[in-house]
Amino acid sequence: MSGNPTTLPAAGPLAGPGKGAARSPVARRLLRRLEVRMLALALVIAVVLSLLSPYFLTRTNLFNILDQSVVVGIVAVGMTFVILTGGIDLSVGSVAGLCGIVLGLALQHVPIPVGIALAAGAGGLIGLVSGLLIAYFGLAAFVVTLGMMAIARSLAYIASGQTAISNIPAGLSDIVYTSILGVPGNVVFLLALYALAFAYLTYAKGGRVIYAVGSNVEAARAAGLPVLAYSVLPYVVSGALSAVAVTFSVAQLLSADPLMGNMLELDAIAAVVIGGASLYGGRGTILGTLIGVLIMVMIRNGLNLLGVSPFWQGSAIGTIIILALLVERLVSARAAR
Amino acid sequence: MGAAPAISPPLLVAAGVEKTFDRTRALAGAGLTLRPGEVHGLLGANGAGKSTLSKVLAGHVLPDRGEIRLAERPFRAASPREAMEAGVGIVMQETSLAPDLTVVENIFLPELGRPGLLSRGRLRRRARDLLARLGHDHALPLDAEARDLSAAQRQLVEIAKALALDTPVLIFDEPTASLSPSEVESLFAVMDRLRRDGHALVFVSHRLEEVFAITDRVTIMREGRTVADAIETASLSQADLVRHMVGQELGFIYARSGDGAPGPRGDVVLAVEGLRAPPAVVDVSFRVHRGEILGLGGLVGAGRSETAEALFGLRPRTAGRITLNGRAIAPRKPAEAVALGLGFVAEDRRRQSLVPDLSVRENLLLAHLGAHRGFGTGYRAREAAVDRLVARLGLPADRMAQGSILAFSGGMQQKVVIARWLLLEPAVLILDEPTKGVDIATRASIYAILREIAAEGVGVVLISSDFEELLGLSDRIVVLSDGRSIADLPSARLDEAKLTLLAAPRTSMARSAALLEGLAGAHRASAFWALIDGDGLICLGSAAAAGAPDPGLRPGEAFRAEETRIPTALAARRDGFVDEPDGGCATLLTPVRSAHGHDLGWIGLTLDPAAPRPDAAGVRAAIKAAMSPAGTGSDALGSSPS
Repeated sequence: MSGNPTTLPAAGPLAGPGKGAARSPVARRLLRRLEVRMLALALVIAVVLSLLSPYFLTRTNLFNILDQSVVVGIVAVGMTFVILTGGIDLSVGSVAGLCGIVLGLALQHVPIPVGIALAAGAGGLIGLVSGLLIAYFGLAAFVVTLGMMAIARSLAYIASGQTAISNIPAGLSDIVYTSILGVPGNVVFLLALYALAFAYLTYAKGGRVIYAVGSNVEAARAAGLPVLAYSVLPYVVSGALSAVAVTFSVAQLLSADPLMGNMLELDAIAAVVIGGASLYGGRGTILGTLIGVLIMVMIRNGLNLLGVSPFWQGSAIGTIIILALLVERLVSARAAR
Repeated sequence: MGAAPAISPPLLVAAGVEKTFDRTRALAGAGLTLRPGEVHGLLGANGAGKSTLSKVLAGHVLPDRGEIRLAERPFRAASPREAMEAGVGIVMQETSLAPDLTVVENIFLPELGRPGLLSRGRLRRRARDLLARLGHDHALPLDAEARDLSAAQRQLVEIAKALALDTPVLIFDEPTASLSPSEVESLFAVMDRLRRDGHALVFVSHRLEEVFAITDRVTIMREGRTVADAIETASLSQADLVRHMVGQELGFIYARSGDGAPGPRGDVVLAVEGLRAPPAVVDVSFRVHRGEILGLGGLVGAGRSETAEALFGLRPRTAGRITLNGRAIAPRKPAEAVALGLGFVAEDRRRQSLVPDLSVRENLLLAHLGAHRGFGTGYRAREAAVDRLVARLGLPADRMAQGSILAFSGGMQQKVVIARWLLLEPAVLILDEPTKGVDIATRASIYAILREIAAEGVGVVLISSDFEELLGLSDRIVVLSDGRSIADLPSARLDEAKLTLLAAPRTSMARSAALLEGLAGAHRASAFWALIDGDGLICLGSAAAAGAPDPGLRPGEAFRAEETRIPTALAARRDGFVDEPDGGCATLLTPVRSAHGHDLGWIGLTLDPAAPRPDAAGVRAAIKAAMSPAGTGSDALGSSPS
């Protein structure tokens, strides 16, 4: 790897003669990597849930977990791009809702691939507008995407006539249920997307510029990097991927509802943050985001298996997110010493 | 020198103070002993720890170790407020004004934190009082917002703010960096009064002449340690001071390779004409030749950094012509400037250069990443070139791939940033304060690199507030003042004192400009102000009445005596008028000094030889009276021989 964006400044492997060199250097080095700690947390959660519920570790349930990861997982990729630049995209849920309606309406007239392209194009266009308002006009990302969130949801209701579009061509469900080597199509897509995003952020010029912009935009500009283009791109990616994510929802339900994607932004942001990204930008990895998504979905899945009331699930998930971050902060502070 | 009462017990004693930032050891056994009623110089080279020690005393920085006693009681200030309440105030080097507040509000900012009601009228009266003591009651509008002030004005507000606290211990951390000579005089008068009132003052500076002019005792620091503790200033020579400050080994730091003369100048690589980028850059012109180091000199706030930023596309330009290798260019953003062949090492490394979340190697490759065309990073193709640069600049190869650049010392960081540009082989490299926060050893190697790349044909533009560095490194110096280029001189013709005078802001030149106009008008003559040195001179200003004879001088330029029309007068420098043998003109030269004894050069008056001669002694007296600043209390110091 040509860069090592997750190395915490205070916790670099060259921290010099550290004080408590009690643990083996390999373990220490591994523990300094945030993804490794979060992966450990994911495993702990998995073990606890499998002890609490005999159904958790079944093949069906594991595929369930992957299946439930697809929508939030796809959106979280775009969100990672945005958060790496130091921005935030609150509009992803509403954009998903609007693009689902665009897809549903389009499929009444055009073939499936064209419909998907139109939906993704609509999502990307919304992202382009948000990105330009943020990067070119210098408006706050929080405010712009908050406004876009309201606009997109309102347009979704208007375009759909306040009702779900249910006459979706059944062929669309093929993207979910066609399996490759025994793995469902939507999961294959998710994994391929993560591999692609990882490669882009690590080996492509654009990916490295995104890190540089998020880490120190002024230095990036002064070094002659194309700051504007790569400040806007993440919002375009985020918008387009919101559309792709909702396509999988629509394909599963064969129905497009203007309410789709409600609160999706919260799950996506939580997954990215649990995955170790800094909301100030410049720090985070796509692998971390994948682990974050899995943690979120596993918890939700486990609570369902345990029969916890949906009304209590919100409290449980919120508490676990905050606890996870708190523990992480304490651990990383110790590892830095 | 003021009489330092030797018997009084120390007011503040600091010993064994240590402080480490990240992995940089800023203080490693620093100490200071202050007596009431003294001005105590705190000296040291860049990065010696003067500012850190000052900040420890003022509660801005918590020391890791060390003992500090104030008035015989243990002193430990966890915040500036605690330090102020215990009796230590500071005038910071980098101004810490609130840009949205007015001058009055800024001066009394520390009081705004106190409970109770404020009387606006009373604050205004006190503010006017304080500024009057600094000789600036008219120049500083009380209701102006701090953001609209010039650097010198901000510095004055900073000083007034510290004076308002009236603490027994007052630290001045390089207060004169952006002040003109006359403003320095006023400040010294105030310091002298505070000293007589029994305050203990710490004066941090690297201008040695100022140290000799105002301090009673000095403490010298080197590499975070106190190496000379409270020595009487009078017992020291300038050479002693320098030896303590830099150790022995640095005599060669500015040494030029070869015979010491600048190499042959190549073609003009970068030409700038009439550059304007308001508000800081008004009218700047200069030329950089291939293979030379051009220095941009001036005070803080003169518009040097802004000039560089405007050239590099970081600041919008409203006028001016830039020519690179004979081709007109107009970069609107850094990416364009880089593509054209410019490189820019900005002043504020942390803010403008470093990307902390990328590896050190990637920081080095950052400008490459911007210049690279293609989908990938193109790092691999640059591997060999990067390794060569790492070796050439003496960077630790094993620490390049991993670890944060923030863990590097300031010097190493700067080398990485310089390497970032060298990798692209620019035609012109502009460096803004390249040795700020850089340790001495690394400074020497950065100087060597700059000389090397200049010799290889890169046009190097150096901006530095360290006049010694600027003079030592540059082949030529263009002086900026209030956003204008006012002089273009070979550095061999300059020294620190001359550069200081040239760099003075226009506002403080107003008095001399008015004097020259007045003289020229009254005597139907040409009047000029010049620094005369051996058989050469530097003209600082001139004025001429219609039809008056021309002495052959232009402001901002250096002349040898024989190049002027008044060589005889320049050689004689007599008390009366001197006639040129060719009968062209008669000239009266008057040496001028500040009330403080600073050499301010000469005022010349050139007449038609046939015109009626005014009384030479009368003219001289009038000139001397006009050039002496009317600063209050300056008489007390002006009479002291130093």
